[in-house]
Amino acid sequence: MSTVSPAKSAGALYWPVQMRRNIGVRSLFIVVLAFLVAYGVLFPGLFSASGFAKFTQSWFPLALVAMAQAILMLTGGISLAIGATVSLGAVIAATTMAGPLGVAGGAAAVALTGLGIGTATGFIVVRLRLPAIVVTLAGSFIIGGAALLVLPRPGGAIPAWLSDLLAGNTPAAFVLLVAIVLLWKLYLATPLGLSLYAAGENPVGAYRSGVPVDAARVAAYAISGLLSTGAGLFVAAQTGSGDPVIGTAFTLNSIAAAVLGGIGFLGGQGTMRGALAGSLLLSLMISVMFFLGFTPVAQYVAQGLIIIGAVAIPQFRKVQQ
Amino acid sequence: MMKSPFFASASALCLGLVLSLGAGSQANAAANCIKGDRKAPYTIGWANIYSVPTWMKQTQGTIEAEVETLKKQGLVDKLVVTDAQGDANVQIQQIQSMIDSNVDAIILIAGSSTAPARVLADACAKGIAIINFDSLVDTDKVTAKVNTDSSQWGDQAAKFLIDAIGGKGKILILNGPAGVSVSDDRRKGADAELKAHPDVKVLAETNTPYNVAPAQEAVTSLLFANPEIDGILSLGGALSAGAVLALDKQGREQVPITGENARQFLELWKEKGLKSWATMQPNWLGAFATYTAVQALEGKDVPAFVKIPLPVIDNSNIDAYLARAKDFPADGYIYSPYDEELFKKLLAQK
Repeated sequence: MSTVSPAKSAGALYWPVQMRRNIGVRSLFIVVLAFLVAYGVLFPGLFSASGFAKFTQSWFPLALVAMAQAILMLTGGISLAIGATVSLGAVIAATTMAGPLGVAGGAAAVALTGLGIGTATGFIVVRLRLPAIVVTLAGSFIIGGAALLVLPRPGGAIPAWLSDLLAGNTPAAFVLLVAIVLLWKLYLATPLGLSLYAAGENPVGAYRSGVPVDAARVAAYAISGLLSTGAGLFVAAQTGSGDPVIGTAFTLNSIAAAVLGGIGFLGGQGTMRGALAGSLLLSLMISVMFFLGFTPVAQYVAQGLIIIGAVAIPQFRKVQQ
Repeated sequence: MMKSPFFASASALCLGLVLSLGAGSQANAAANCIKGDRKAPYTIGWANIYSVPTWMKQTQGTIEAEVETLKKQGLVDKLVVTDAQGDANVQIQQIQSMIDSNVDAIILIAGSSTAPARVLADACAKGIAIINFDSLVDTDKVTAKVNTDSSQWGDQAAKFLIDAIGGKGKILILNGPAGVSVSDDRRKGADAELKAHPDVKVLAETNTPYNVAPAQEAVTSLLFANPEIDGILSLGGALSAGAVLALDKQGREQVPITGENARQFLELWKEKGLKSWATMQPNWLGAFATYTAVQALEGKDVPAFVKIPLPVIDNSNIDAYLARAKDFPADGYIYSPYDEELFKKLLAQK
C-alpha cells in the first residue's frame, strides 16, 4: 500500500495521466512533427520571425474553430453553424471597428454576438432536447443570412494597425493561441469544465452524481460561439476587411480537425491537444504539398491519404494487440 | 480614424507625398509592382480558387497553352499551380507560399473580392507581377486587373430580352449565388433597363449556383406557380440551359431567353430554335493574364485595368460557334477565338 499524501500523489499522477491521454493521438503527433520538419526543410524561411508569423496566422483561425467544434463534440454535441458564425464575426468586426464603436466596441460586439449565438443554440439544444445537428443546421442558415444582411457583399474595413498587430510580421497570433490554450486548461479546472467530459460521456450517470450536466453543455455552446466569432474577427483582421461567406469552409474543416485529433462523435472522448494537432496538420498539408510541387489533382488524393493514414494508424496497432 | 485636425492634416500631407511619389515612378513606364530586378525565364504562379468546374479547367488549359508558347520563347520556365478548393482562406495561404518560394508572377482568380488584399500587397512589395482576372480584388496593389464588365453583361442581356418580348411582359430573372460579386454586378447592370420599362414585370428571381440541375429545379417550381411567362432573363449559361430544360420537361413553349456560351445551352438554342442572345467570360482571360504578366516583367507598361469587350453570340453567328463545338468539352464553354495579335491590341487600348 502506498502511504504518500494525497497532494503528492495527485502531483505524481498528473504526468502519467496526461501521457495516457496522448495514446490515441500519438501517431498524429508524429505525423504532424514529420510535416513540420518537412516544411522547415523545404522552406527554411519558416524559422525567420516573419515566416513563423505568417505560418501561424494561416493556422490560427482553423485552430480556433477546431477548438470550438471539439468542445461541443466532447459534450456529445456538434455544430454545423461554425462557418456561418465565423462569417458573422468577420462582417461585424469589419463594419464596426472602423466606425464610431472603435476597435474595443467592435471586439465587444463580436464577443457578445458569439456568446449570444452560442448560448441561444445551447439552450435550444439542451433545454428543448432537440438534436444538435438539426438545430445548428437551421442555425447556419439564420446566421449566414444575418452575415449577408450585415454586409451584403465583401467590404468594410479593419483599422490597419489592428491588422498589422494581429496579422503582421510578429507572432502575435501564436501568442494568442498559447493564451487561449492556457485559458482552456484553467477552464477545465473549474466546476463547469470538470463536468464537460462527464456530461459528454455519460450524461445520465453524471446527472445522478450531481454534475450540472445542462449548464456544462450550454456553457460549451457559449464558448464555442465565442471562439467562432473570435476566429471571424481574426480572419477580418488578417484580410483587412469583411466577407459574408468567408467562413463557409470552416464548418467541415473544424469537424475534420476534431475527428483527425481523435475526438469521438459520441462525446467524452478525445483531447483538445488532439484537435489542435488535427487543425495544424490540415494547415501544414496545404503548404507542404505546395513546396513539394504537387499538382492540384495529386493534392486531393494526397490529402485524403494523409487523413486516412493519421486516423487509421492507431487502429492498426489496436488490431495487432 | 482621425483623432485630431493635426493628425488629419499630417496624414493628408503624407498621402499627397505618397501619391506624388507614385506619379513619379509611373513616369518610368514600369507597370505597378514591377521593380525590374527579375530576369527571364520567369516562374509563373497560378493561384486558382477552385479547379473542378469545367470553366476553370478550360481556363487552365489556355494558361498552360500560353505557358508552352512562352517557354519556346525562353520567357517562362515553370508554371506552379495551386487549387484553394473554393476556400478563400486557403487561397491566401497558397499565395503566401508562392511569395515564400519567390515566384516571379502570380496570376489569380480571387476567392473573395476583399480577403486577398493584404497578402497581395506583400507580393507587390516584393516586385512580383500580379495579374488578377475574372473575380477581382478591391485593391490597387496589383500589376493589372483583367475582366469583362459584369454590369454591362446585365445591361446588354436586359436590353435584348426587353426588346425580344416587345417592351412588355412577365419575366423570370435567374441569378448566380447571392453575395458573389459577379452575380450581384450582372444583376445590378440589368436594373437601369428594367426600371426604364415599367411594363416588364418581374415575376420572380432565383439565386442558384451556376449549375444546370439546381437552376432547372428552381425554374420548374416557378413554372408551376406562374402559368404565364413571356421571357427569361438568365445571367449565366448553365442557368439558361436549366431553364430551357425545365420548360421542355413541363411541355411549355420556349420563350426568349438570354444566356452564356455554355456548349449545352448553345446546342439547346439550335435544337429548340430559340430566339436568344449570349455573351461570355472568355476562358482565354487566363492566357491573356499570363501573357500580360510576362509583358510587365519584361518592363512593358501595362494598363492597371484591361477591360475585355464582351463577345456577343446571337442568331446571326451561333452557327459559327457550334461549328467549333467538337473542340470543346460537352459541359464546357465555346469561347471566341484568340491569338497574340488580339492580346497586343487589348494591351494597347487605353
